[in-house]
Amino acid sequence: MKSSDILYLIIQVIAIILISPLLDGVKRIMLAKFQSRRGPADVFQTYRDIIKLFKRSETMPDCGTWVFRTAPYLMFAIMATVIAVLPIMHSGSALSAAADLFLIVYLFALMRFIFGVASVDSGNPFAGIGGSREQMVALFVEPTIILSSVVVVFLAGGLTNLVEIKNFVSSPQILKVLPVFIFSGVAFLFATYVETGKKPFDVAEAEQEIQEGLLAEYAGKRLALAHGALILKQIAIVGLFITIYIPWPVVGNPFVSLVLFLIKLLVFYYFASFVEGVSTRLRIGDTRLAASGAFALAFISLILFVIGRVG
Amino acid sequence: MSVIYLMFIAGAAASLLLYKFQKAAAYIGFGIPAAASLYGIWFFFMNLTGTSELVVQFPVMAAKFTLDPLGAFFSLVISLVGFAASIYGIHYAEEYRESVSIGAMGFFFNLFMVFMLMVVSASHVFWFMVFWELMTLTSFFLIHFNDSEKTAKATILYMVIAHVGGAAILAGMLLMSSAAGSFYFQDFKGAGVGPVMATVLFLLFFFGFGSKAGVFPIHVWLPEAHPAAPSHVSALMSAVMIKTAIYGIIRTCMWLPLNEWWGIMIIVFGALSALLGVLYALTQHDTKALLAYHSVENIGIILLGCGVGFYGMATGNAILAAAGFIGGLYHVINHATFKGLLFLGAGSVIFRTHTKDMEILGGLGRKMPLTAFAFLIGAMAISALPPLNGFVSEWFTYQSLIQAALGSGVAGTIIFTMAIVALALTGVLAVMCFVKVYSVIFTGTPRDEKIWEHAKESPALMVAGMFVLVAACVALGLGAPYAATKIIGVVTYITGTGFNAAAGISVKAVSGSVVSPVLISIIFVSMLFVPIIFTLVFKDSTSTMRKTKPWACGAKYSSRMQITASPFTGFLRQTMNWLYRSEVHFEETNGYFGKVKYSSHAKDIWWDIIYVPIIKGFSGLSQMLSVIQNGRMQIYASYVLIMLAVFITLAIFG
Repeated sequence: MKSSDILYLIIQVIAIILISPLLDGVKRIMLAKFQSRRGPADVFQTYRDIIKLFKRSETMPDCGTWVFRTAPYLMFAIMATVIAVLPIMHSGSALSAAADLFLIVYLFALMRFIFGVASVDSGNPFAGIGGSREQMVALFVEPTIILSSVVVVFLAGGLTNLVEIKNFVSSPQILKVLPVFIFSGVAFLFATYVETGKKPFDVAEAEQEIQEGLLAEYAGKRLALAHGALILKQIAIVGLFITIYIPWPVVGNPFVSLVLFLIKLLVFYYFASFVEGVSTRLRIGDTRLAASGAFALAFISLILFVIGRVG
Repeated sequence: MSVIYLMFIAGAAASLLLYKFQKAAAYIGFGIPAAASLYGIWFFFMNLTGTSELVVQFPVMAAKFTLDPLGAFFSLVISLVGFAASIYGIHYAEEYRESVSIGAMGFFFNLFMVFMLMVVSASHVFWFMVFWELMTLTSFFLIHFNDSEKTAKATILYMVIAHVGGAAILAGMLLMSSAAGSFYFQDFKGAGVGPVMATVLFLLFFFGFGSKAGVFPIHVWLPEAHPAAPSHVSALMSAVMIKTAIYGIIRTCMWLPLNEWWGIMIIVFGALSALLGVLYALTQHDTKALLAYHSVENIGIILLGCGVGFYGMATGNAILAAAGFIGGLYHVINHATFKGLLFLGAGSVIFRTHTKDMEILGGLGRKMPLTAFAFLIGAMAISALPPLNGFVSEWFTYQSLIQAALGSGVAGTIIFTMAIVALALTGVLAVMCFVKVYSVIFTGTPRDEKIWEHAKESPALMVAGMFVLVAACVALGLGAPYAATKIIGVVTYITGTGFNAAAGISVKAVSGSVVSPVLISIIFVSMLFVPIIFTLVFKDSTSTMRKTKPWACGAKYSSRMQITASPFTGFLRQTMNWLYRSEVHFEETNGYFGKVKYSSHAKDIWWDIIYVPIIKGFSGLSQMLSVIQNGRMQIYASYVLIMLAVFITLAIFG
């Protein structure tokens, strides 16, 4: 039991890391189609981009310290850790101590911390502003993420372990509390969308913007790794949403689960590209309004939960 | 126990005797407390279970010290930070070589340590109050070793609030002892106080001790007084002294028949302190003031855990109480380690740069790599990032809040859930704040070349002091199952029931949820091989890294272009301006081409809202009373005559 869990964990993380540029390529083509552009030549464009970057020589700002040098490796490893512990293929008890909801939320915080420090470490003015904004966006979405997921934790009887939450949500009991679940799911979905760094809240591809702006000073293999880390981050946050809110259909075979997970991911990317394709960039202050709306939804789910328990 | 106390007292005496020899005083005056604390760490750790007593015969009244598990736990926290601060102090005291007598500083330092230890073991109302006040007084003198106009103002504010709080505690203690008919703490439990009396006592104790802990809204003195002290004393004050107040709250609440809404009230005050503390911390650019505001925040987090504990005790749910207290007490020791570490790190920067203003620092990570590393660990621990210790205690707090929410009524559920959200928000803001602090001080390009040129790594003992606490942060994180088991022992003493908080390499909450800092570290380290393998597989370019100036859109790069502390939180301040009411100063000097000075400073509005009316009220009252004393001799003579007449009347008819 234990060893097979570890095996699945390794297969899962390696598979997702290797497939992630493909997903990114598909997403880019989808977005291009929604915007009536031609986009990249085929779905493998991101592989070529990353491999090319690995071969390039590097530059580095003269003020950078070891934080700047190691940050891409650390960010990549943190996001790989989150993807590894999500119960997609494995669902045993051996790894349950790593698949905790709060642990994952704080691993995202760790990523943000290293990202922020590395951005200011580069000495680049744009990177610094990007670092500050990244924190602000987190401030807007974090309450929603915590509140909506805590409501699901309440429904599941107080267990914060993702495996337990997944088991609860995929059981028929969820039908009794469907309204609560839907409200909290919609709120979490919104937060997920903002965290993936898309329009109208961010323009992930643009330099001097929130996400990639921090990478202004990176070059060569470190830029490749940082890019990879950001792609993994999108998969990780969407993966968290899928694990908590869309565990169906439940299949026993881990490999089928992995394929299903990837399909769900693509469906999310499809709709996300649609939203991204048709919206215009909001100012960061307007993000706050949208975020308060999502928080209100999460709060409604809490109220529904409380009322449902009393009645 | 007596050995440790006597060692500190001997240290105080020896350091006072050496007041003429600055260097020797530093080694003796801080070396002896280092040895005493080291022994204390071992001794109090061994005595975490079981109770020992010590009676000292003073001429008038015997002083009785009882070291029960709760007291031993807090003594352990005091000794741990005390050890780091003492060895740090040996070299740090050189900063004061020119200005003050290091012998006197060592004297007060030793006394401060021993009085803190005595506060958490005193078991008699009189002696508790004496040591409580002596602790305040010695810290007052220690602050004054940094003499400036600001210090004087800070210490007066500190003394006023400490004494209002002290008066409340004394009133509570006296009421309690009159109800119990004894001055000894052991007779207080189950003294049969009525519900009204219990509420009065609770409010007196909560606000009395809360004033020392820096609970919102009685926090205003803390960000003034803590930064004013020498850094190793700031570390002790912020990391340890305010914990004695938490000790006081827990100790006194153990005596009282608890009420549910007290727990909820503590939760509400905890959540407010946590959020407002970190929000005000974000706007500071004085490193130490920022850290002091973070103490307000962390006291709030501790109160969240303890609040669940009291709520559980009041509702008769001992398991829930244990779940709350383990979060609270774990955070007590965690906050002591990382806050002590951060203050020592900030002190190390001040030692080499002589400034507390982070806006003119930058790039120090290249000059002071060890300090930078230690500070980074502290910053990550206080931001509750896994696998360090802050995460473990916040995780326990989250779990206890979830349990409390599930087991309470409508209003209770909403309050506990909002406390969870507040804790999450606090976490986000703390990350933002410490990204700012660490990166503005230690990374980027130097904003003031002169300061940067002169900076170098601090002396060995200062670095050693910091790394003691780095080790503690890591050990309390990775060794969480062991530490949690030990703390459950203390919790069991408070609540009567414990639960199994460890399962192999994981810590376990009441609900059965587990989390393992070790496991996550193992996964993380193995994942670190993935990017390394990638670089090997793709045979990346082996040409050496070319170093350039940061890119500035083609313009010539200047270090003034990079982001500083205030703009980093600029947008937050705009969004939250109702909370800060930033004062903007705009200063134009000599004509059109002259320099323009623009500065803004965020304020703590609660000073204006709560304290200014009180101060105005009191000065108005004194104005009115001053009519009596108007300087005319005739009036004074008439007072004497009137009093005489009254007394004579009383003597005749009375």
